[in-house]
Order: sequence, then C-alpha cells, then structure tokens
Amino acid sequence: MSMLQQVPRNAFVWIIICLFVLVAPHAARLPIWILALYAVAAIWRLQVHRGNWSCPTRLVKATLVLSGFFGVYATYGTFVGLEPTVALLLIAFALKLIELSYRKDAYVLLFLGYFICITQFLFSQDFLVTLWGLVSVTLLTTALVAIHRTGEQEFRFGTIRVASAMLLQAMPLMIILFFLFPRFGPLWTVPMKNHTAKTGMSDFMKPGDVASLSQSADVAFRVKFDGDIPDKSALYWRGLVFSRIEEGAWSALGFYDLPPNQRRPKEVTISGDPLRYSIIMEPTQQRWLFGLKYARSETQAVIQTSNFLLFSPFPIETDFMYTVNSWTNVVVDDVLSDWRRKTETRLPRTGDARTRKLSVELRAEAGTDEAFVGLVLDKFRREPYVYTLRPDLLSDQDAIDEFLFESMRGFCEHYASAFVFMMRAAGVPARVVAGYQGGEINPINKTVIVHQFDAHAWAEVWLASRGWVRVDPTAAVSPQRIEFGLEEAVESEGSFLSTVLLSPQRYRRIPALNALRLRYDALTYQWQTWVVGFDNERQFDLLRRVFGETTAKAFAVTLLGGLALVMLPFAISLFFTRELHPESRLGKHYRIACKRLAKIGLVRAPGETPSVFAQRAAKVLPDYASQLWQITHLYNQLAYGGAQTPAGNAAQNLQDFARITRRFRPKKQGA
Amino acid sequence: MHIQVIIDSAVEEIGRTLLGKEPQIRLALCCLFARGHLLIEDLPGMGKTTLSHALAAVLGLSWKRVQFTSDLLPADILGVSVFDAADGSFNFHPGPIFTQLLLADEINRTTPRTQSALLEAMAEGQVSVEGETRSLPQPFFVIATQNPIHQSGTYPLPESQLDRFLMRLELGYPPPHAEREMLERRYSAALEIQYPRQCIDYDQLEMIRVAVSQVHASENLLDYLQRLVAYTRQSAEFEVGISPRGALALLDCAKTWAAMHNRGHVVPEDVQLVLPAVAGHRLIPSGDYAGDGHALVDLLQRNVDVVGP
Repeated sequence: MSMLQQVPRNAFVWIIICLFVLVAPHAARLPIWILALYAVAAIWRLQVHRGNWSCPTRLVKATLVLSGFFGVYATYGTFVGLEPTVALLLIAFALKLIELSYRKDAYVLLFLGYFICITQFLFSQDFLVTLWGLVSVTLLTTALVAIHRTGEQEFRFGTIRVASAMLLQAMPLMIILFFLFPRFGPLWTVPMKNHTAKTGMSDFMKPGDVASLSQSADVAFRVKFDGDIPDKSALYWRGLVFSRIEEGAWSALGFYDLPPNQRRPKEVTISGDPLRYSIIMEPTQQRWLFGLKYARSETQAVIQTSNFLLFSPFPIETDFMYTVNSWTNVVVDDVLSDWRRKTETRLPRTGDARTRKLSVELRAEAGTDEAFVGLVLDKFRREPYVYTLRPDLLSDQDAIDEFLFESMRGFCEHYASAFVFMMRAAGVPARVVAGYQGGEINPINKTVIVHQFDAHAWAEVWLASRGWVRVDPTAAVSPQRIEFGLEEAVESEGSFLSTVLLSPQRYRRIPALNALRLRYDALTYQWQTWVVGFDNERQFDLLRRVFGETTAKAFAVTLLGGLALVMLPFAISLFFTRELHPESRLGKHYRIACKRLAKIGLVRAPGETPSVFAQRAAKVLPDYASQLWQITHLYNQLAYGGAQTPAGNAAQNLQDFARITRRFRPKKQGA
Repeated sequence: MHIQVIIDSAVEEIGRTLLGKEPQIRLALCCLFARGHLLIEDLPGMGKTTLSHALAAVLGLSWKRVQFTSDLLPADILGVSVFDAADGSFNFHPGPIFTQLLLADEINRTTPRTQSALLEAMAEGQVSVEGETRSLPQPFFVIATQNPIHQSGTYPLPESQLDRFLMRLELGYPPPHAEREMLERRYSAALEIQYPRQCIDYDQLEMIRVAVSQVHASENLLDYLQRLVAYTRQSAEFEVGISPRGALALLDCAKTWAAMHNRGHVVPEDVQLVLPAVAGHRLIPSGDYAGDGHALVDLLQRNVDVVGP
C-alpha cells in the first residue's frame, strides 16, 4: 500500500474520537447492542492497527452487515422511520471503521460522520445539542485535516487548532447564510413517524389500567405572554377533547367521525381584549396544539377544530412556534346542536349501574344542571377521596363503580372520567379534556415552562346560556394540585418524579441548582425563538424591516453582497501579498513571453528552468533563438544575478526587459 | 587560469580512466570543491574505487586507502600509541586517517563503532586519540564507497551519519559505447590505461573556493530553494524531508556548480542538477518507495517538476 493512501496514525486517533462523540447524543435512544458494536469496532480497529488482528474477510463483513440489518429489524420492527434509519446509519459508520484502511475509506467515513452529526438535530434542536454538534464538526474537520498530514505518526493535539481556525474563518459565512440563505421546504424527507414517541399525553385514556403514572420532567412547551402572566390556577392548556367512551376508555372523535355540517367550528362572539401569548412546542410527533380557552391563532397553518382546539395539519417534528389570542370569558357553543347533545351524553348501554343510579338521584335532588355539578363536586370534597399517583388497578367491568364506591383513590384521569360519566348518566352534556395544567414561571425571562408532569385531565360541562364550562373535579379532591402543582399535591406520598433520578427538577429545592436550571431554560427559550424559530416568515420579516419591500432580486443581491462583503477582506489580502512580492513584475513580463510561446504549442513545464525551456524552444523555433536567449539571459541575470546585473539601475533593466518581451511575438514555424 | 578550463581538463583526465561518466565526475569534483565528503554508492565493480583513485590523483593530494572490513577497529584508522622500549615512552603511530584524502572502501562493511570513529573525524576535522586531540591535515576529504544496503553482511549507515556526506553519487552501468571502448582497451597496448596526472594544484583549489564564496544567490533563487526543501517536508512522498543542514548543503553545492561553470550567480538549473546527489541520501521516501533508488530519483524529479522555479 502506498503511503499516499494510508491513514496516518494521528488521523486515526481523531477518527476514533469522532466515532464516540458522534454516537454520544444518540446513545440514550439506541439499543445497547449498537453501543456494544461501537466498542467492538473500536477495539477491532485498534487491534488491526497494532497488527494483532487482521482486517475482516469479505464473509465476516457480509455477515456483520446482514446481522446489522437483522438487529435493526428485530429492535424496531421496521426499517422505515427516523430511529431505525439513524440506527442503520450508525451501524454503517461503526462497520466502516473496521474496514478502514485506505484514505478513501476515511473520506467516506468522515463525510458520513458529517451526515450523522446532522441527524441528531432530527431528535432535538436544544442549545446543548447544537453546542455538541459544533464540537462534533470541529473534531470531524480535525480528522479530515489529519488524514492529509501524512507522516504524522503520533497523536497530535495541535491538529485541532488548524481545524478550529478553519471553522472560525467559515463562521462569518455561516452567519450570513443563516440569515440570508433562502429557506426552501425540504426537497426530501426522512419518514419521521416515530414508533416509540413518548409524550405526556396520548389520544385515548383508560384510567383503570394505570397503576403508577410514569412521569417525565421533559418540557412540553414554553409560553411567553405579552402582558402579565395569569394566575397559575387559571392556566388550563387544552389539548384534546375526549367525547367518546367505549369499553371504559375515553377517546377523541376524529375529523371524519363528525357529520359534515359539524366539522367547522361555530362562530363565537368575542368581546374584550384577548390574552396574547406565543407558544414554542417541543416536538411531539403529533398534530394537536395547546391553548387556553377559546384560542385563535394568527400563525399560518394552525387550524381551529369544532371543539375549539388548535390543530396543526402536519405532525410537530421540530420545535414549533405559534402565537395565540385567547378570550377566556366568552361563551362557546351557546346553542348545542342535536347531534352534539346526543354525542356528549352518550354512554355505554350497560355497566356501572350504581353510578348511574346515584347520578339520577343527585340530579333529581339538585333541580338544575348547575346545582347538580355542585353536588357532585361536593361529594368528591366531602367523602374520603384521595389524590394519588399510585392508584389501585381497576377491573374492566364496572370500573367507575369500583373507583367511586370502593377504592376512592386516583389521579386527575379517574376523577375527570368518573365526573363526566356521572354528568352524562344524568343527561347533562359533558366531556373530558386532556392537556396541561399550570406550569412553572421562569422569573428570569417571564416565560411559563410547562413540563410533561403538568399533564392533566379535567371536564367540560355544557350549561344552558353559559355554553361549555370548565369543571375540574381534581381541584375538589386536591386543591393543592391546581394551586401549587403536582409536587405539592403528592408531597406526602413521595412519588413526585420518583422514577426519574437524574432530572434537575428533583433538585429544585437546592437554590443554586434551581437558579442554574432556570437560567438555562431562559437561554433555551432565546435559542428556540431566535435560532430554531427563524423560519422563512421571520426571515422575510427581518429583510422587510431592514430593506423595505423584498423582491427576489433584492434578496439575491443582499445574499451575494453579504457573501462578497465577508470574502472581500480575504481576497484583498491575498491580492496584495501576491502583488507586493518582489520581482513579481519581472516574473509577469517573463510569463507574458511564456504565454505567447504556449499559444504556439510550446508550454513551459512547471519544473523547467528558463534556460532549459529556452533550449527546448530554440530547437523548435530556430528563427527566434537569438531573441529567446536574449530574454532568457536577461531574465536569469535580473532574477538571479543580484548585484552583478548589467549596467544601469534596476528600474531601467526592468524596462528593457519589458521592452524585449513586448517585441517578442513568435510565430509557428515550418511543418 | 580560467576555472572552467581547469575543471574541464580535470574532468577529461578522470574521464580517461572512468569512461562515459562525465556528469558523475563533475558532481564529485563539485562536492570536493564545496569542501564536502563524498559517498559513492553502487554495486561492486561499477568503478567506485577507480573514480576515487582518479579524483585523488587529479587533485594531487596525498591519499591513503582503507578497506573496511567487519573486524576493523577504530584504532586501525586513527592510529595507536606504541611503547618504545628504546626511549621508554609511548610514541603515537598515526593511522591512515592522517592524510589529505582518505579512501574508505566499503564503509558499510565495518561495524558501527568504527564507522562512527571515522565520521566523527569527518565532522570535526580532528581526532581524539588517547585523550589527546590531533588535527587532521588540510584539506581533508573522505571519499567513501559502499554497496547498496540490501547486500548481506553490511551495517547500513544511520541517517545522522549519512548526513555528514555532502553528496552521494551512484555510478550505474556505463553507456554501451563506453563499455565497448573499455573492452577494446583491455588488450591494446596503445590505449593502455594511464595513471591520471595532477590537473589541479593547491593554489587553484583555493582559487576555486574563493570563487565559490563570491557566487551570488538572489532572493528569487533562495525562494525557489526554500520551496523545494519545503516540498520534501510537506509532501506525502517523503517520510523525512531535507533538514536545514541539507538545505545549506544544497545551496553550497549549487554555488559551487555555478562557479565551476564560470557564473557569478546561481540559477535554478544549478540547484536542480545537484539536487539528486545532495538530497538523495538525506531523504527517506515513505511507504513502498523505501530502498528503491530509482523511485527516489523519480520522486525528486517530481519535486522539481511540481515546485517550479
């Protein structure tokens, strides 16, 4: 193998470092066997390098590739989708390392590395992830620099300085491209459907099946209010409406489950100033959005449903920002259509007989729907119901009876479900609403951070002349849950985030850590607003603000002008270093003469000295031999002779030389 | 007398005994005029010893020849003190190194210990024997010959010691017409080999050296030379590039070459012509080029082609 094709030792070390840096952000998502594969690949490669083991044979390689495919299929059950695709890429990356022997393999590996570096942004565009991406790119560039430094046989840290300098020089270009490069829609897409997507919410609800609510301290979304932040207990972020109960499970009605004349939201008469706020959502891979009661959004492509929810036509796969106006006091659905009344009072034919009986009795006792709601809430308040994250499992049959009369332990879903059941049993239209309640106020930038553990379920009851009214039975059972949040509500139980050991949320009682956490969250908000949220709308906005009305031409001119502005200083400095080089004028004249010879087919090889070239040229062009020698001698003397130049000063000599080269106009001779 | 004439006559004189090797003869002279030691490397029977004898004769220097063998000891070259029973003291008997021109035949056949004793003397111009420092005569040249290293029973010189030689020459097979002449001469009385006569005396040697010291190397030329050297350091083809000492050697030889051709300044051709001889043994080609002399020449030619004056 030629040395030219070898990968130097130094580069090799950097490549291994890259390997681990690139796989790190994916590590938590990947099955353990892929991580093991990385360790094996690195060790194998190291042993090959030290001459202990040999490179894998074709058969071994084929087996490894096939088992990689098999492993991915066995783990994910499919090859389509983001996670299996990325897993396949990462496996390819590790396997390529084993057969890395030529420089061209290293190229493939490193360019694949840049691509893998991008894939981490498909999962998260967090600020830290971006920093990590920068580190990865620096290391990859370092490896790329190192494979061009043959002969570096031991590890050198200094290579990273070269790579960093290169990347720093590219930084101004990057910033210009970030602000000005047109943001097209994607030309191609990786199928994103995420099989293992986790969110705080799912699109159905069956409280009896949950023994211990799994909690997550991940952020669901962040909200920034234009004015003051309303009281926490008023922050009910509506996400989904569950109108259907089948076999003990609540689910939402799909768009096509509605009769055509019910699909559009009813007109709502609005009055007063709305609450204005913007929400940045973390990716959910789902299409529902969140908002306070009666929300309208000005953001393009946000749809309002007939339940007055906000909806996105496409799944939220990246951080998504939208602005909302909410009127919390208006009456929605003041007149209930027959279809809706039927739908929102429908119950399974049989089951939970005790509950049904109780409901009818209470309704009769109350006289009005409103008083009935009060009576039911009173029941929750007075009787020994317990708010807990560790409820008992309920049987499939008569689950609500079991909960209401026997176990009496549950969390929001149990209470919402039982409450709505009771309402419907008495003929009052009611439904379950799922979403988030409350949130944490970050004092640093006045945003509301809503975490996954703020997920909540409550009820909406339709009352004549008041429309849909929010009723939260959980608040009756556990007022702390609404006033202070989940942590306070389950303090005695000790179950708050008991499964998530490393979450910073667990340590919020330590002031220094908490301040740090909030500060980082504020930074994340800025990052999401200004960098991640910088889409083509904002881009046009910015350009319009700076340059007035934007046309395609102005846009192009700005982009190119910006690039030129960044490149110009480099170009100028290059230009001057070249021009200020001593003797360059002499060389220029000589090159003119050479160019004329090149035109008639006599090209001077780069290594050819003037004399050697003159000798060759004189043979071909005997008529010009004397002129050629005159030029060559004078050039040699002026360029190399120093003080022994012929009489006359330097400027004079240069002029003479320029004159004779100008006169030199060779023509092709003979055949 | 004109330098070029002196040198032409010397070349002609040597050419009478070593046929068809004019470029190598000129380079060998260049090396000696630049006050450097010369290493001649080739297979046995290629005329290495003939060339070194002829050089010594033409320069009229006192010379001694040492055949290096594996049992040669440093004292065999440097000399030794012998107890003289008559006056009851030790008398120093100088070794063969105390001469103006030392022919070290097959230097790579002897042990590193003896090699380093010789090479130290070459670098210092003096030897230390039994605690006493003794100067070597002036001028002092070493012409060493060696077989290519892949012959068995040899101790290859390490790079640091190869560096002490200003030039390394390879003779190669003679051209067919020269070989024919050599064969014909073998039994012809009329053309019997004459021992070369002296063509350059000590004064002329000094004159040449003065001329060399006055040769001008312009900015342009130094620039070119530096670029050539830098290329060998950066290029992937060489594991080890030309050292600063190598760069100095290159400049010295180029200047001498210019002076030998009666020029007051160095031009790029001078550098290009001496480059293979000066740089060849200082470079370590990387990878599979190692040990292949011809590939090295190609690499150097590429170096010259790529860099450009």
